[in-house]
Amino acid sequence: MKTSTKSLLLSIALCVPVLTMGEGSVNTDDAVLLPVRKDPTICFRIWFKVGSQNDPKGKEGLAEITAAMISDASTRNNSYEQILDKLYPLAAGYDAEASVEMTAVSGRVHKDNLADYYPLLIDAITAPAFAQTDLDRIKSGILSTLENTLRYSSDEELGKAVLYNDLFAGTPYGHITSGTVAGVSSITLDDVKAFYTKYFTRENLVIGLGGGYDESLLAKLRGDLGRLPAGKPEEVPPPVPAAFEGWKATIVEKDAPATAISMGFPIDILRGTKDWYALEIANSWLGEHRNSSSHLYQVIRERRGLNYGDYSYIENFPHGGMRSVPPQNVSRRKQIFEIWIRPVPEETGHFALRAALREFAKLTEHGMTAEDFTITRDFLKKYVLHYAPTTMERLGYALDDRFYGIEGSHLERFRSMMQTLTLADVNAAIAKYWKKGTMDIAIVTKDAKGMRDALVNDTPSPISYKNPKPASILAEDKEIAVFPVKIKPENVKVVPVTAMFK
Amino acid sequence: MRWSIVALLLFAFCAAAERPAVADTFFPYKVHTEILPNGLKVLLIPMDSPGLVAYYSVVRTGSRDEVEPGKTGFAHFFEHIMFRGTLKYPGGVYDSIVTSLGADANAFTDDDITAFHLNFAAEDLEKVIDIESDRFQHLHYELPDFQTEAGAIYGEYRKNVTDPFEVLSEKVRDVAFDVHTYKHTTMGFERDIKAMPEGFEYSRSFFRRFYRPENVVLLVVGDIAIDKTMDLIRKYYGGWEKGYAPSNVPPEPPQKGERTAEVVYQGKTLPIIDIAYKGEAFHPASRTFAAALLMGDLAFGVTSDLYKKLYIQDQRVDALEASIPSQRDMPLFEIYARVKKEEDVGAVKDDVYATIAGFQKTPVDAKRLADAKKRRRYGFLMGLDTPDRVASRLAYVIAVTGGVDAIDTLYGELDKVTPDDIMTAAKSFFTPENRTVVVLKGTAK
Repeated sequence: MKTSTKSLLLSIALCVPVLTMGEGSVNTDDAVLLPVRKDPTICFRIWFKVGSQNDPKGKEGLAEITAAMISDASTRNNSYEQILDKLYPLAAGYDAEASVEMTAVSGRVHKDNLADYYPLLIDAITAPAFAQTDLDRIKSGILSTLENTLRYSSDEELGKAVLYNDLFAGTPYGHITSGTVAGVSSITLDDVKAFYTKYFTRENLVIGLGGGYDESLLAKLRGDLGRLPAGKPEEVPPPVPAAFEGWKATIVEKDAPATAISMGFPIDILRGTKDWYALEIANSWLGEHRNSSSHLYQVIRERRGLNYGDYSYIENFPHGGMRSVPPQNVSRRKQIFEIWIRPVPEETGHFALRAALREFAKLTEHGMTAEDFTITRDFLKKYVLHYAPTTMERLGYALDDRFYGIEGSHLERFRSMMQTLTLADVNAAIAKYWKKGTMDIAIVTKDAKGMRDALVNDTPSPISYKNPKPASILAEDKEIAVFPVKIKPENVKVVPVTAMFK
Repeated sequence: MRWSIVALLLFAFCAAAERPAVADTFFPYKVHTEILPNGLKVLLIPMDSPGLVAYYSVVRTGSRDEVEPGKTGFAHFFEHIMFRGTLKYPGGVYDSIVTSLGADANAFTDDDITAFHLNFAAEDLEKVIDIESDRFQHLHYELPDFQTEAGAIYGEYRKNVTDPFEVLSEKVRDVAFDVHTYKHTTMGFERDIKAMPEGFEYSRSFFRRFYRPENVVLLVVGDIAIDKTMDLIRKYYGGWEKGYAPSNVPPEPPQKGERTAEVVYQGKTLPIIDIAYKGEAFHPASRTFAAALLMGDLAFGVTSDLYKKLYIQDQRVDALEASIPSQRDMPLFEIYARVKKEEDVGAVKDDVYATIAGFQKTPVDAKRLADAKKRRRYGFLMGLDTPDRVASRLAYVIAVTGGVDAIDTLYGELDKVTPDDIMTAAKSFFTPENRTVVVLKGTAK
């Protein structure tokens, strides 16, 4: 068949995926399939049931490093340089990302290029070379992330990492996926090989395959992945975070240009259940991610201009600053409630914290109003359409459905729940899962000791503006400034930034 | 080979089923173009995306237009002000309508563009046209709202300033440009951001001059019918009055000699080198520009000899990248390297210069060049899989050129680039007298 490059390429974008959400995935024992006949690309997501919760003690960061040794390193058949050369003209690549409980090796390629792409992907998964030079490079990158980027270049990500580590301290969830400086520094090739052999086994994976693939591809994948080591690793029990009531705070002291705040607590609810969708309505109203419909955004940013945005979550949402809708394949058995206050001027840090806690307290005390409930439910009914417009994203959701044991689809259920849930359902879920007066607070700020004293003494935090404000806002400010957030001295830690992630 | 046959058969099926109506163009969707009597250009791109529409209002104004002293950052600030509403739909009402539609809505600003976009269900098209046309024609805001929004902008600046690349970018532009407005970033200088609350009257003139039909392009992509959409657009935008007054952006004189600087980052970071060359304004038919674009990949991309040496083998850098932007006026063509040890900064710079010298003297390997072209084409086209992705990729081209024809022209030109063209580009732009070199270092060790 003689076809010019130009006409070959013409077909690419015209075969778009069908976006209706009704097109379901197919589950088999070892695979989640999402065939989309018109999609000219093929999507792979090979899910291994392993994540940072499986890092051995003292080797924190091993899951992330092992994933990178698959996706960003040599195989036994090709050096890393050769892999990059071969992937380059295909405009394709593959990635392996470890989260707390899942590691997904994912990639997407145009059908035209499948023959050149497939052996590279399979080699990456089944025949990693485990070369010392690759390990050195990968470790150095992660150490730089911990010691430079997280400690110094992104106070928002720092605040979140501090919160996550603190919420689950002493459990397998108790460190971020990048691990610790000591853990990463100590990891050897033997550690990586042992981790790979134990967890990247043929009995510990689920194949995710989507797009315009041919039936024979699944059989071939099964055969090729069958070359992985055997073994089914023991499951890590879900974490049991230390129970706490009331307020507690970790204040990270650093020469920060502004004050970043993240806070939350673990919650016992997972997607798929009716209560989750009910709570999601309340959460969307309180703090829909990167959306001006967020009530916290309205109170802190829109009316007072203190920062760039204020949001809340009932599922962990990594890389929130970089994406507008939830990520896939970061599922976990224990979730968190989280409030994210983007950096505010230091002198308004205490005020902004109080403002957010006050709104949360009001919601837990009084529940949603009928009007807010209706608006938010109708918003979510349509907004969820934007969560997964592509085959790759829908395949990710289908794997997550498998993780959570959801029959059918979470996104379908999401929409149908928006037809049936009532205000009473939502307010019952708020009462059941959200604890007024309990919050683990992480603050990154310059005057950490000043903030500590203010929290311990419940010092009022009046605010003033350079520009005139309506009387209603000034009146509310007076209430916010004395909203009680008194934290016991033993529940406030001050930590220098250099001590983080050691 | 079994696999290639399978792939070819699959392709043949797909191509047969989906043969495009626009056979001789690279951009694979048919574009309906219409200009209203008031000068508003409308581009409609129907595509197979059941139920979804992406709606972009592309204002061909960005921080490039901030010619007045003390007003840097205003294009971006004005992007925020556009959410403050009108008398018909005040800010809170506008927000609640967008919420009730379940739309994914936002906006962004860059050197040459301010774009407002919504992604929503097709049934809500008229409502979206109603609220968008209303705020572009009848924006209304009072002083207190304006001043509150200035606080949010400063918050955005504070969020950004912890990123060393932002600090570096501020410095490189400031050193490289003397008079052109690319001298400042889109966020603007901090002193100007602080003074924004005093710029109320200026902000009104900004709206009067730039938010005019002749300076805006509407781009609607997705599940739409052309006639019905055009009827609605005529109805809602027909009364919008002309009045665009272009900025008098001063041209940058040719650079005469290398410029160097250091910048200090308050915090800890690996040193970052930015080697920036004065480039060429985007003209899609320019062979030299197309060649420079490919050279960026070939000399500094992941398959380049330099990347392999510095990142994979010697591991002296943990990042190396080139940026060859398509802009309305002469931009910077930049090469970044983040160096692991401070003592290697000089050697890494020399490696970059030696690589450029090599491209000036030695023709690039024909297969590598063909691979680079193939990658660009597949990369571009594979990204066009949802209405929003199509629209977001077109928005910049529209802002810079006024339409989407430039895509076919550019990819046609890329196809023709020869190894000689790459040498010409290397010699034209990447010369010592045309470069600005800035090194960023942290305060903490």
